[in-house]
Amino acid sequence: MKYESQKVAYWFFATCMLLLSLQLVYGFIMAFAHAGYDVLHPWVPFNAARASHNNLLVMWLLAGFMGAAYYIIPDECERPLYWPKLAYVQLIAFVIVGVTAIIGFHFNWWEGRKFLEIPRPLDYLVVVDVLLFVVNIGMTVWKGSKMTTTSIVLFFGLLMAAVLYLPGMIPTDHQTHDAFWRWWVVHLWVEGVWELIMGGILAYLLIRLTGVDREIVEKWLYVIVGFTFLSGILGTGHHYYFIGTPNYWLWIGGIFSALEPLAFLGMAIYGLALARKGGRNHPNRIALFWTVGCCVMSFVGAGFLGMAHTLPQVNLYTHGTLVTAMHGHMAFWGAYAMLVLAIMTYALPQLTGRKLFDTPSAIYAFWSTNIGMTAMTVAFGIAGVAQVYLERRAGMEFLDVQRELQVHFIGLILAATLFTSGIIAFIYNFIRYGWPVGDVEEPVPTGLRAAVPAE
Amino acid sequence: MTMLSKSAARAFFLSGTLLFSAVFIWLTVDTFQRIPAQTNSDELTESVARGKQIWEENNCMGCHTLLGEGAYYAPELTRVYDRRGPAFIAQMLRDPEAVYPGQRRMVKYDFSEAQIDDMNAFFQWIGRMDLNGFPPEPTIGLAGAAPIPIPGGERPEIFSQVCTACHALGGIGGAIGPALDFVGDRFDRGYLMRWITDPQAVKPGTTMPKLGLTQEQRNEVVIFLSKQREGGL
Repeated sequence: MKYESQKVAYWFFATCMLLLSLQLVYGFIMAFAHAGYDVLHPWVPFNAARASHNNLLVMWLLAGFMGAAYYIIPDECERPLYWPKLAYVQLIAFVIVGVTAIIGFHFNWWEGRKFLEIPRPLDYLVVVDVLLFVVNIGMTVWKGSKMTTTSIVLFFGLLMAAVLYLPGMIPTDHQTHDAFWRWWVVHLWVEGVWELIMGGILAYLLIRLTGVDREIVEKWLYVIVGFTFLSGILGTGHHYYFIGTPNYWLWIGGIFSALEPLAFLGMAIYGLALARKGGRNHPNRIALFWTVGCCVMSFVGAGFLGMAHTLPQVNLYTHGTLVTAMHGHMAFWGAYAMLVLAIMTYALPQLTGRKLFDTPSAIYAFWSTNIGMTAMTVAFGIAGVAQVYLERRAGMEFLDVQRELQVHFIGLILAATLFTSGIIAFIYNFIRYGWPVGDVEEPVPTGLRAAVPAE
Repeated sequence: MTMLSKSAARAFFLSGTLLFSAVFIWLTVDTFQRIPAQTNSDELTESVARGKQIWEENNCMGCHTLLGEGAYYAPELTRVYDRRGPAFIAQMLRDPEAVYPGQRRMVKYDFSEAQIDDMNAFFQWIGRMDLNGFPPEPTIGLAGAAPIPIPGGERPEIFSQVCTACHALGGIGGAIGPALDFVGDRFDRGYLMRWITDPQAVKPGTTMPKLGLTQEQRNEVVIFLSKQREGGL
């Protein structure tokens, strides 16, 4: 860590840990309800648990991205944050808005639109808060002594994430228009600009952890985000198959969604290749685990499972079933949750000055979360495919089908318990790192091939 | 890939992004011109708009799906107006647990009758959209095979909408209440009429809900049920 002001990242990461813990609680509430034990229904009906689970996810990932940016941008631009105090103000405001929204959900105060449940007055506060963040980061980049590709890609990813929140606020009485704009936000976030953020953070991590030449890493960064937009923008079409929009979206969405795994495949190959070529010698091995793991799991969850489910012929039957939950869980875990955990794992030793690196609990956290999430994905997948056959193909009544699926949710709960034990281990490690301090020297990979020759 | 320079990679990224963004915006404009015909926008009345508002204010999507979008905890409602009809929807909204006793629970909202009408208007409008084939018709098993023949002629529409939600007949319908095959051998018309008019009066504590059907609908259902006799085929 070069600058005192990077310390604010620690508090964003600590916020992530809190929100993630809460997210898991709501996940269990829903899993038990699906398994037939909706005992909390009078106090936390399913829709409140669901809105809380999803919005906590979005909030902790955004907090993670912001923390990552506050850590990475000063490093890349070689200057302190432009307004360090504003970063704290912005964090506190973010938490207040988020917590208000979650509490509101329990009192039937929301906007009832999938993923955008935050009530309208709070939407405006979110926009203002994110703009403060973007301006702070933007000024740091602008006034910095260096402007690297990594910082530019990261900055534009964050800026576009803020801008693309706006279409979701267009008022309409028409359900099709409503859904159409909603996906401009949700899809163009997760399969568009969030991947810019992901690319930027991964590039930073790979440069630091493997010591491979920046020019090579950043060249591939452009190629990968190029493929992301090439496929992802028109890939939005896979949300426009069955919502009252023209049928040309079936083949546009189908073709471009089929291309979407390419960007993720590129990312997986790039992560693995760079990890082999460079490092292995960086003392923070577990950070490299999370970084390469993120590249691989995002390909499996977001790339491969996404494609399997978005082919129009398949999606006609799987649309609106638990198959979506299968893809969603591993996609968000692999692409974004692991990314935030990777940057946290990398940054914590520098933020706190304690070099815990690959302790047994850190290794346990990595493997049990990944094995747990894989098992959860399998449980959702089996339940989803069974639902498709019984309900969509054989025409059984919805509730009769759901009773047949209850047993799979017992399996899901077991898998989720393993996953949760890993998260607890991660948080235990986080706490062991202690409070952030100033001025900590950065470890560098040892025994590097000093200059990796351009291929 | 030694040939590829960083500036070429950047050019690929920028030109690809600009090109596909432009195509996407053009398709968006075209889509908005076609939506009115495909979704009967001219039939989007104020009542439908109020229904949509109620739908959102109560986060119905947090359990149900509509147009296949939402959560996967409660039934898909895109075609619910055709499948269940306004009488069932109204009764469900008045008291969900009375309609599906002992099943997965829904919040009981204190909607006014006017709000219930708005919800019905909303579902009716949604149900008439052209959705490129969604939701698909079942193709295998009971639904795909020739139906098991039943006596009494065609199933009345109200029977297929409301009663089938819990009871099966000829293998079609839910498994929440008992199957209705040959129910005419077990009960006479008078009993059936008293039963569906006010189940609690006949058998206190029963989970069978009072369905709020009109006299005409009740007559139709009772006549149909009384024909369900083993020798009736």
